[in-house]
Amino acid sequence: MEPILSAVFALMDRLLPFAFAEPAFMKRALLALLLTAPAAAALGVPLVQHRMAFFSDAIGHSAFTGVALGVLLGVSPSWTMVAFGAIVAVAITLVKGRTELSSDTVIGVFFSTVVALGIAIISREKGLTRNLQAFLYGDPLAVTDAELLWMAALFLLVCAYLALLYNRILLLGIHEGFARTKGVRVPAVEISFALVVALVVTAAIHAVGILLVTALLVIPAAAARNVARGAASALWVSVGVAALSGFAGIVASWYLDTATGATVVLATAACFAVTALYRVTRPRE
Amino acid sequence: MTGSEHLHTLEIRNLTVRKGGVEILSGIDADIRCGEVTALVGPNGAGKTTLLLAILGQVPYTGTIRFCRAAEHGQGAPRIGYVPQRLPLDPDVPITVLDFFALSAQRRPVFLGASRRTREIALESLERAGVAHLLQRPLGRLSGGELQRVLFALALRDAPDILLLDEPVSGVDVEGEELFCDFLSEVHRDARFSLLLVSHDLSVVTRHAGQVICLNHRLVCSGATTEVLTPENLAAMYGTDAHLFRHSHADGHGHLHDDGKR
Repeated sequence: MEPILSAVFALMDRLLPFAFAEPAFMKRALLALLLTAPAAAALGVPLVQHRMAFFSDAIGHSAFTGVALGVLLGVSPSWTMVAFGAIVAVAITLVKGRTELSSDTVIGVFFSTVVALGIAIISREKGLTRNLQAFLYGDPLAVTDAELLWMAALFLLVCAYLALLYNRILLLGIHEGFARTKGVRVPAVEISFALVVALVVTAAIHAVGILLVTALLVIPAAAARNVARGAASALWVSVGVAALSGFAGIVASWYLDTATGATVVLATAACFAVTALYRVTRPRE
Repeated sequence: MTGSEHLHTLEIRNLTVRKGGVEILSGIDADIRCGEVTALVGPNGAGKTTLLLAILGQVPYTGTIRFCRAAEHGQGAPRIGYVPQRLPLDPDVPITVLDFFALSAQRRPVFLGASRRTREIALESLERAGVAHLLQRPLGRLSGGELQRVLFALALRDAPDILLLDEPVSGVDVEGEELFCDFLSEVHRDARFSLLLVSHDLSVVTRHAGQVICLNHRLVCSGATTEVLTPENLAAMYGTDAHLFRHSHADGHGHLHDDGKR
């Protein structure tokens, strides 16, 4: 795996002969963002259509507990965060389908329970707080090679998943009963989508942190809605906004000396503002 | 039509649906005949949509629902077309009518564009419904009537054996309603499927449905429209305050008026 990464770094040296891209940690940060932000933005389009922004927020916050559990059990928190996020995502989806409660109520119950559990663990284990800071605010400059490879694998997984199931996910978001008559297997689609979202959310936490991770899914998709009319342009605009603001944010954070994750999210918000302005000034059809 | 005249496409026997301890439907027996329009009528909350969902296999039930496929439709499981009442969409959802067709008509993910075949299918179906001009329009910005026609065009694409329509004229203006009903009877003349329509508008029912199933949690009555929609049955279904009376301006079709006092 080492040779692949060094080959990629050498290529980046050629393509980006700038001061900000020189240090290895900046290259890692750039790769981390360009792998996770577009994947999150692509999933964000159906996520927004399914009104699942709160769901992604709950998964983001479950990572808090996942990290605490990892430290408690002496396992790498990066991986317990992924596992715990996936478990919570599947649990929410299963419970949601078997109760009369509205989905935001179900998510609210899980959200609070899981965060409370995290706080309880942290309060017992002194000295855990510092460990958590990196996850709360995100620190793409500290991404390890193993995490980078996981992000790359995840990027490919998201591409394959969306290529196979995108149509069915959108159809399900339009009308569940109608989608069923068109042969969509609803539980399988719902659970797999929740799982893929959980994997991407927990990976993107390295880039922008627990507090801001929902922004990577929701803001590009919202920006795409301002300019796109069709399903194809919506996805590509969303992915484009994510890649552009990921790159611009990391460069800006280098020169402004600001937190990388937060700067990236601000760049994404700026893209949203531009598309909103376009929408307002565009003549109505 | 000879031979399939009395063929039941759908036999419902002793159908009961419970939800949260409450019986929404109890002991329903009904037949839906091939080549006929059957209307499902009843007050709000009578279980009409639940019956549709049971037929679609989307709610658990006891009793039996048996599909009897007419021989002329060939072998295999019956195809059920379904036109929902409305779509819970945001007006700015980035999905066009063409995308909507692509979602169920092609394997290629819609973000790589609609295939030529999808485009042909969509245009042909929309033309049949008289709304070919809507192809590139965003789904969330269609009027109620336009959306109904698009949904209808999409449901008909698969040549269903049974088409289920949930409140086909709700949220549609008067002119749209007329057009929709004309279209419906026209399609029905040449396609020979059976049609089950949920409606609370008795003028639509008397005009288009040959058979009626009256529901109010249980089966109130069923049979030929002209025989079944009597004042006694309507009172049994909607309560004693309901009257079927004729408007002078209308062309003799009854509207149901509920005087309140629920």
